[in-house]
Amino acid sequence: MSFNRKNAYLKMMQKGLLDMMPLNLAVIPWGILCGSLAIQRDFSILEALLMPLVVYAGAVQLVVIELMHDNAPLATILFTAFIISSRHFLYGLALRDKLKNLPLKWRGSLGFLLTDELFALSGDKKSYKGKLRLVYALFAGGSFYVSWLIWNVIGIAAGSYLPDLTNLGLDFAIAVTFIALVIPSIVNLSLLVTVCVAGVLSVIFKLLNWELGLVLASVIAMYCGYITSRIQAKMQTVKINKIITRDKEQTENVS
Amino acid sequence: MTLITIFLLACITFLTRYLFLHPKLPLRIGPKMESFLSYSAPAVLTAIWVPIIFVKDNNLDISFTNPYLLAATVAVIVSKKTNSIYFTLAASVSVFILLRVLL
Repeated sequence: MSFNRKNAYLKMMQKGLLDMMPLNLAVIPWGILCGSLAIQRDFSILEALLMPLVVYAGAVQLVVIELMHDNAPLATILFTAFIISSRHFLYGLALRDKLKNLPLKWRGSLGFLLTDELFALSGDKKSYKGKLRLVYALFAGGSFYVSWLIWNVIGIAAGSYLPDLTNLGLDFAIAVTFIALVIPSIVNLSLLVTVCVAGVLSVIFKLLNWELGLVLASVIAMYCGYITSRIQAKMQTVKINKIITRDKEQTENVS
Repeated sequence: MTLITIFLLACITFLTRYLFLHPKLPLRIGPKMESFLSYSAPAVLTAIWVPIIFVKDNNLDISFTNPYLLAATVAVIVSKKTNSIYFTLAASVSVFILLRVLL
């Protein structure tokens, strides 16, 4: 490996870490909450550690810990986790063409690391193309995994000394992170439509207590955004056609 | 028992993330589908954050005593103006904590 190439890899690793850094920090309260909750709901230290280590999903951890503590039936626990996690199907679909032909080690590891946060950093058209961008994603996603683990461990260690953190409003940190990711990305009308529809529908479905509300609201919002862009494209073509026919008529009149 | 449950949970979260990355899956994504899927990040992230702000104890809370709402408004304005996650976090979280203490 030449010096320049090595340098480029180092740059990408660094960029991955730096881009993910604000999100790594923003999940501190959420991670500590998940770790401490496991201990407060009578999980052993091993069980509490395995949650971030292998399940690795904040919302699933939080909900499932309560369900398991309440001795809910296994089927309920697994079904609930599946519903909460089902939004990831959309991420997999969106990244399918970019990742499906990669070797298993890349597919497997990036698939495991594919959280909301990593997906939020995957929006670029060129993302995951070429080894340098894969290294970038691996370091961004990997640093989020390690951070999540560290914050959980702190929560586990402090668990029995901490008060119940569930009602302190720590979920605000999650909300504000996503606001900071979404708002600057609204650069055209179709994206604005997507965000507005997703916001309104998700609130309505939440109030109706629909388990699949999150995914349903997202899919409808995506469709509205898509349709908006199609209509805009069509209107653009109509406009261009009008200009072309007008120009033709003018040249005919002149001649 | 708990360990088995945790293992099964791990299978579920991995499955939902990995499934559509698997090459053997008989599924082709056309240009229309691709364009539709390009809206997934703003759609899903918004569907996560908006209910956190507006829904409290299963009720819609659009009042000035809802610290989430005021702090989120600050977040939206700051992120629009600065484009910085750090600034947005710092500004809105401090407003949020202040409101929690005051209200």
